[in-house]
Amino acid sequence: MLQMQNVSKVYRTELVETHALRQFDIHVREGEFVAVTGPSGSGKTTFLNIAGLLEELSGGSYLLDGVRAETLNDDQRSRLRNEKIGFIFQGFNLIPDLNLFDNVDVPLRYRGLPRAERKARIEAALEQVGLASRMKHYPAELSGGQQQRTAIARALAGEPRLLLADEPTGNLDSHMAREVMELLERLNADGATIVMVTHDPELAARAQRNVHVVDGQASELESVAMPLRTHVRDA
Amino acid sequence: MDIRPILSTLSRHKTAAGLIALEIALSCAIVSNAVFLIGNRLERMAQPSGVAETELVHILLAGTARDTDHPALAREDLAALRAVPGVRQVAAVNQVPFQSSSWNTSVNMQPDQTHPTLVATTYFGSEDLLETLGLRLVAGRDFQPDEYQEFAAFQRSGGESPIPSVILTQTLADRLFPDSEPLGQSIYAWGNRPSRVVGVVEHLIRPNDRLGAPNEREFSMLLPLLAPTEYGSRYLIRTNPERRGEVMEAALAALDRVNSSRIVIEEQAGTVEAFRDRYYQEDRAMAWLLVLVCVALLVVTALGIVGLASFWVQQRTRQIGVRRALGATRHQILGYFQTENFIIASFGIALGMALAYAINGLLMERYELPRLPWQYLPAGALTLWALGQLSVLGPARRAAAVPPAVATRSV
Amino acid sequence: MLSYYLDLALRSFRQNKVLTALMVLAIALGIGASMTTLTVFYVLSGDPIPAKSDRLYHPQLDAEGMSGYVPGEEPAEQLTRFDAEALLRSGRADRQALMASGAVAVEPEDGRLKPFYADARYTSADFFPMFDLTFRYGRGWSASEDEGRARVAVISRELNDKLFDGADGTGRTVRLDEHEFQVVGVLEGWRPVPRFYDLNSERYGEIEQVFVPFSTSRDLQLSRSGSMSCWDDAGGDETGLNAPCVWMQLWVELGSPAKAAEYRAFLENYSEEQRAAGRFERPTNVRLRNVMEWLDYKRVVPGDVRLQLWLALGFLLVCLLNTVGLLLAKFLRRSGEVGVRRALGASRRQILSQFLVEAGVIGLAGGLLGLALALLGLWAVRQQPAEYADLAHLDPVMLSTTIAVSIVAGLVAGLLPAWHACQISPAMQLKSQ
Repeated sequence: MLQMQNVSKVYRTELVETHALRQFDIHVREGEFVAVTGPSGSGKTTFLNIAGLLEELSGGSYLLDGVRAETLNDDQRSRLRNEKIGFIFQGFNLIPDLNLFDNVDVPLRYRGLPRAERKARIEAALEQVGLASRMKHYPAELSGGQQQRTAIARALAGEPRLLLADEPTGNLDSHMAREVMELLERLNADGATIVMVTHDPELAARAQRNVHVVDGQASELESVAMPLRTHVRDA
Repeated sequence: MDIRPILSTLSRHKTAAGLIALEIALSCAIVSNAVFLIGNRLERMAQPSGVAETELVHILLAGTARDTDHPALAREDLAALRAVPGVRQVAAVNQVPFQSSSWNTSVNMQPDQTHPTLVATTYFGSEDLLETLGLRLVAGRDFQPDEYQEFAAFQRSGGESPIPSVILTQTLADRLFPDSEPLGQSIYAWGNRPSRVVGVVEHLIRPNDRLGAPNEREFSMLLPLLAPTEYGSRYLIRTNPERRGEVMEAALAALDRVNSSRIVIEEQAGTVEAFRDRYYQEDRAMAWLLVLVCVALLVVTALGIVGLASFWVQQRTRQIGVRRALGATRHQILGYFQTENFIIASFGIALGMALAYAINGLLMERYELPRLPWQYLPAGALTLWALGQLSVLGPARRAAAVPPAVATRSV
Repeated sequence: MLSYYLDLALRSFRQNKVLTALMVLAIALGIGASMTTLTVFYVLSGDPIPAKSDRLYHPQLDAEGMSGYVPGEEPAEQLTRFDAEALLRSGRADRQALMASGAVAVEPEDGRLKPFYADARYTSADFFPMFDLTFRYGRGWSASEDEGRARVAVISRELNDKLFDGADGTGRTVRLDEHEFQVVGVLEGWRPVPRFYDLNSERYGEIEQVFVPFSTSRDLQLSRSGSMSCWDDAGGDETGLNAPCVWMQLWVELGSPAKAAEYRAFLENYSEEQRAAGRFERPTNVRLRNVMEWLDYKRVVPGDVRLQLWLALGFLLVCLLNTVGLLLAKFLRRSGEVGVRRALGASRRQILSQFLVEAGVIGLAGGLLGLALALLGLWAVRQQPAEYADLAHLDPVMLSTTIAVSIVAGLVAGLLPAWHACQISPAMQLKSQ
């Protein structure tokens, strides 16, 4: 599904050259739930940006669902993001001027789907995260957990091949965080491929596999996770 | 691009969007009226006078002693002027175009009519006036020598010595005789004796076309009277355009030889072309001022749009990043801001058109201007739409350049 | 506290230099344009004789024949010679002067200068005291000199300088239209704006250079100028005593409203008498307007000047809207700052004051720049061919008005944005991000 080989990313400013990633390798298979962990400044976010096609890589190769990412132009990458990737951000990143329905609608608009299909997908996605009754509400009227669930609905509505989550519970209290984690686990159980970036070891422990990033390089750790699927079935 | 989400966003920023829309509305209203005013002035300035402007030199002498034999002096003057080299035609005249003072008379269709049909200006002076002015006869003939009489004699008669014939402009003929052939018909002007229409000239502007309505600009007629030198000796000389300066000097010298006690009224000595130039100076200045105001208005409005759009782009940087992360192409971001501007501009333009008509109504009332032609409205709308799109392009391009990675930047 | 707000405002300007400059420039353009046109309008619509404009009246009578009569129409603006002289003779007002305009050929006595034409006013003795004219040398003429058709003249200071090289010209003679006149007075400069006493020719021009008794002017048949309207044939003598032509002005001084009412009654009475005598045909229709009413009736300010004023005010409005929009965007972008300030104990009033000070400073800066633009604009007006061009100067009243208007404009422009900003609740801002 997602394969990076020898990827490097260099940020250049007038004064310094920062190597955010170097000889970075990772391979995520379809249906996996992978946690990418590491301390602040280790390159987690850079990895996420590159994985999500938000930034270009400086070197190496990146294969996303069979497409060579490094050869794509801006428009092609936009299209690929739109069709294959669902983002879940730490700050939720809902658009404050739009209600939930319109927020979930955003990626579908860019895909140019017909109205009826968009409506069906939005309603299904909001249903899935338990917010179907709130679709006329604005983000400011919701709790943090509800906002993040909306963001997840937005990610799901496009039926992406890959969910990229960036500290999805970082801005939430423990109760809401659990709610969101359970939702992600359920999605994974239903077959979604999820890559989650986090600095929280406890959260990472719940993924099937952990990739640890230190100084822009990845090292695989054996998962010590409890059996997730069982957990989901319990729920 | 679907506009509903944009409308929804705008409805949450009503004040700012409303202000820009209002600014566009005012600009639209003022600019369409100002352009209309400019057009009006230019049109007025471009009106034909009917006279050979570039070939005419005008001289006014005053200070003739009261007991002079005026008719004899006039004849002597004319003869002296005809002898000046380069002179093609000479005539005495009572008034010339592009002057503030004029001779006017009421015109009646019946004797003893209580309310005059209209008021027209009267040109007269001497034989050859029609030719000297360079008027184009479109019907009938010029006056015959036996039709002329001295103005003073006519005046002393108390209006009883008839003016046998009159020449009208086409405009005046059409107004007085809308349904019939004017030649041979009679009008009553200056007294109660009929004057027969013997000729019609294509154009002849009133000396002061600011008197009366714009469509009365050519309410002029020619009479077979000899100009009174008691009011000063006015002469029109027709020559080749390039010889005007030289002819003027020679003519002044010739007149001085006839009678040296007279004083040349300097501001009245010059070419008719120069008179026209001076006459329309204020209109020209006003037209330029209006142009300046239009440009300034559009620039300020454009700056307002740029300013607000820049702020919105800054304010929404993160949102733009998120949209990009969710798959929006640069084009779609550009399109978003352009559409947004188009919507605001459209609201402004709709309001502006109503306002333009209202302002035009006021102008019609106060300045006797015609109704704003409807074509000005779509033209104004297009201008402001284009202005809006052009102004928003910069900020929108900056928006499109926001990298999608902004979405993952920690707050 | 004010100095703190000023400091904050300056910091804010530094952060957003381009935007601040834009707002200042927009206000400056608006203020510059409106102040230019407002000054011209103010000069042109001013009171030409403030000390007694409410005591000077301009009588009108309806002396025309029935031909062309439309009930309710205004009477003619000028008087016939017969009526002007009759009203002058009646002496019912505190002061009265009849007048007509003309032009005379001036021949200096020593023949040193070429003869030239000068504008003249043919009037009567009260003209000078009634309009408060001051003399540099000499005096006006007396009523008895009017009666005696004396060959006396009052000349302007410019003409005196031209004829007599600045020396006192009283007692000297000057030839006007080939007749010798004795100079009895030389005027100080006088420039009523507009030239209210006769609006037929140049409304904003200089006053005449030569003043001679009206009686003398008719005696010598000096040439007249200005507007004349005849409703019947004058038999070649339009300036004759009984000519059916209006071409003269009469001004009267009436010291109190009661006297004005009395004079109006007298005019009506006079009109009735004339009708009874068969001279007037139309129903009595008199007017008695004081200076400002007369100027108002004559719509003395040129249409283009009014148009320019409205245009400039419209432009100012657009500039202000522009500033309001930009300030709003600017202030609302600082929601976070407002939230923090509120949380730290700032009251709504204090937030409002902070932003109003910022807006006011922009208004003031715009105003000062606008003042410079207005001076430039007035300079441009002075280069125009209009007859009022040389009058376009900024006086202290307009100067202070400009500064006041610009600060008010800045505050008004800042009011809505500042009000929006102070509505921001501290909780909301701190909670969301």
